[in-house]
Amino acid sequence: MARILLVEDNEMNRDMLSRRLQRKGYEITMAVDGREGVDKARTGGFDLILMDMSLPEIDGWEATRQLRAVPETEHTPIIALTAHAMAGDREKALEAGCDDYDTKPIELPRLLEKIETLLRRDA
Amino acid sequence: MTDFAAFAGPLTPELASELRHELRTPVNHIVGYAEMLIEDAEDAGATERKGMLDETLTAAREVLTIINQMLPPGVATIGREAVDGLFERLRTPQGKIVHLVDGLLATVTDDSAVQDLHKIRRAAQRLVPAPAAPAPAGTPQPAAGLPSTADGSTPARLLVVDDDTGNRDVLRRRLEREGYQAECAENGRQALDRIAAERFDLVLLDVLMPELDGYEVLTRLKEAPATRDIPVIVISALDDMPSIVRCIERGAEDYLTKPFDPILLRARISASLEKKRLHDLELEFIRQVGRVTEAATAVEDGTYRSGTLDDVAARGDALGRLARVFDGMAAEVQARERRLKDRLRELRADIGIARTSHEMPAVLDGGALELGHHFAERYEIVAMIGTGGMGTVYRARDLELDEEVAIKTLRPELMMDETLLERFKSEIRLARRISHRNVVRTHDFGEWRGVSYLTMEYVEGLTVRDLIQARGPLQAPSALAIATQLAESLTVAHEQGVVHRDIKPQNLLLDANGVLKVMDFGIARLAESTSALTVAGLIIGTPAYMAPEQLLAETADARSDLYAMGVVLYECLTGQLPFDAPTPVSLVAKVLSEDPTPPTSLTPDIPPALSALVLRLLAKRPEDRVQSASELAGLLRQIG
Repeated sequence: MARILLVEDNEMNRDMLSRRLQRKGYEITMAVDGREGVDKARTGGFDLILMDMSLPEIDGWEATRQLRAVPETEHTPIIALTAHAMAGDREKALEAGCDDYDTKPIELPRLLEKIETLLRRDA
Repeated sequence: MTDFAAFAGPLTPELASELRHELRTPVNHIVGYAEMLIEDAEDAGATERKGMLDETLTAAREVLTIINQMLPPGVATIGREAVDGLFERLRTPQGKIVHLVDGLLATVTDDSAVQDLHKIRRAAQRLVPAPAAPAPAGTPQPAAGLPSTADGSTPARLLVVDDDTGNRDVLRRRLEREGYQAECAENGRQALDRIAAERFDLVLLDVLMPELDGYEVLTRLKEAPATRDIPVIVISALDDMPSIVRCIERGAEDYLTKPFDPILLRARISASLEKKRLHDLELEFIRQVGRVTEAATAVEDGTYRSGTLDDVAARGDALGRLARVFDGMAAEVQARERRLKDRLRELRADIGIARTSHEMPAVLDGGALELGHHFAERYEIVAMIGTGGMGTVYRARDLELDEEVAIKTLRPELMMDETLLERFKSEIRLARRISHRNVVRTHDFGEWRGVSYLTMEYVEGLTVRDLIQARGPLQAPSALAIATQLAESLTVAHEQGVVHRDIKPQNLLLDANGVLKVMDFGIARLAESTSALTVAGLIIGTPAYMAPEQLLAETADARSDLYAMGVVLYECLTGQLPFDAPTPVSLVAKVLSEDPTPPTSLTPDIPPALSALVLRLLAKRPEDRVQSASELAGLLRQIG
C-alpha cells in the first residue's frame, strides 16, 4: 500500500481528499502547513507527497525547495496542487522541484492517474 | 479575506484573482464531497439519492463554468457591475445546490453522509453574499448611538487585524461608514503593540496570518488583565467547527466566516459593544462601591476628608445617593467628634484648675480600719478617702495582685437582715457584669471579722462634687462632656438591667484626662431596701437627686436615673440644685410639686436646647422624660 503525505491547510479539502484517497487504498498522513509538511516528509518515508501551494508558515513552493535540498526527500515524487490556474503556475511548480501539477477542483481520476504514473516511475 | 460584496469600486487584477480563488474553493468542496457521496450511493444502490447528487454536481460545475467565463485567469480590472452580475448569475445554480442538499438531508440518515451534506450546503452559501439591503424584517439593527464607548461621548474605536490589504481597507471603510473609528494592524504583533499602547473598544481579528496567528493574538489578549475585557470578533475563512471552537475557547466574543454578511457583522459588533459597555459600567460600579467602603475605613481611622466621594455622589442612582448620604453622615460624625474633643479639653482644663485649688481631705483616722493595717489578709490600707451614709471608703493595695484598689466597708446595721443581704449580693453580681470605661469596676464582695466590704477599681481623681465646689458653675462644654459620658455609662448599665438609683455628683469620679467613672452601681439598692431615708439617724440616699417616684417609694426604673442626671446637669450648669430646702420633708414637697427655674434664667449663656433638655429630664412623670439613656446620649451629642 502506497503511503502518501497530504500537505493542505484547508480542513475541508484535507478531509475530502484524504477520505477519497483512502477509499482508493492509499495510506494517508496529513500535515496542515508547510513546516509540518517538511518535518513529516523528512522522517516519514513517504512514497509520494501531495503539496498544496498556498500554505501558512512556509508555502508549498518553499517547502518543495527544502525537501529537494535534503537526501531523505530528494527523490520523493511531489505533486503540486493549486487553485491558481494561472498560466505560469505549472512551470513555477516544476521549477521548484515538483514532479507534476494539478489544479483544484480535483478531478479524482485525473489525479489518481498522475499518482499512479509517478509511483510506477519510482517503483 | 476581502469582503467583495461590500467593495464599492472596481476590482484590481489582484483582487479579481483573489475573488476567483474565493469562489473556486467552495466549489471544489462541493464537487469533492458530491463525488464521494455519489460513489457511496452507487455502492448502496441508492438510485434516487445518486440522481440528486448528480444534479448537485452538475450545478457545481455550472458555477465553475460561470466563474471561468466571467473571471478568467489573468483577468484585468473588473468593474463593480460585472462583479454584481457575476454574483447574480451564481444565485441560480447556488440556490439549486442548496435546495437539492436540503432534499437529501430530509432523507439521508447516515451520520457521515449528513455531515458531508452540511459541508456542501455551507460551501454553497459561501458562493453568493447575502443581500446587503434592505435589511430583512427582524434583522437586529444597531441601536441609536450605539457605535460609541461606555460613556457614549466618542465613537467606538475598533481595530481591524488582517494581513490582507484589501480586506483591511474594505472593512475599515465599511466600519467608518457605520460611524465607528476604525484602525488597522497588518499582523498579530502589530496588533498587540497597538492594543498595548492605545485604547480600543473592539478587535476584529483574522486567524491565518504570518508570524503570529489569530489564535496566538487572542490567547495573549485574554491572558493580560489590561486587555482581557476587550471583545474580539474573529473573522476567518476557516469555517470548520474545530477552528470556531478553538477561538471561542480562547475567549473570542464571536466568530464570523468569510465572506461575512455585512448585516450580521454590524449586528454582532453592536451586540459586542453593548455587552462591553454594560460590563464597563459594572466594573465602574464595583470600583466605586470599593471607594465608598474605603471611605468608611477612612472615617474609622479619622482620615476621611469630606468631598472625597464627589464623583461617586454625582451618580444619579442608588450608589450616588449612598455616597451623598455617607458624606453627609461622615461630616456630621466628624463635627460631633470635634465637639466632643472640645468639650473634653474644656473639662480637662477645669479639672486641672480644680486639682490645684482643691486639697483632698487628708482623713487619717475616724474609720474602722487603721492605716498600714492588713485587711482581709490581702489588702494593705493606704488611706481613708471618704465616708458617707453607706460606709467608709479606703484606698488600699491589693498585695496579691500588687495594684491599688478601693475598699468600701459597709455599715454593720445595713447587713443585719439576711434576706436583704442576699438581695444586695445578687445586685452586686449584676453590677459586676457592667464593663465600661465610664463605670468603676466592682471586684469582690466579702466579709472579714464582721466587716462587710466591697473592693473596687481605684480611680485617682476628683468627684464632680469637688469640681463644682472648686469651679462653681461649669461652662456648657465641660458639663456636656460629663453628661455625655454619664449617659453612655447608664446606657450600658440599663441594657444589663442595672439601675443605679443614686446618681449624684459625689458618685461621679473624674480622672486627670477628663474620663468620667460612675461609682456604686448596685449599692443604692441596699439603702432603698431598708425603706427609709434615715437609718440610725443618718440620711441615706440623697433626696435632692431622687426622682418623685423614688421619693414616693414607687417603682424606680431607668428613667429615675435620668431624672438624677437632670439634677446633676442642672447643678453643673448653674452651680445650684433645682430644688433646695432646709429640711428633707420640705425638699420632698418641692420636688413633688414645684417646677424648677429654667437653667437659662440662672445662667443666660447656656445653649437653649441644653436648658430645655435638662427641664425635660426633670419632668415629674417618668413618661414625660427622655425615655432612655441611649436616646439621651444621642441628644447630647447633637447639641452644638
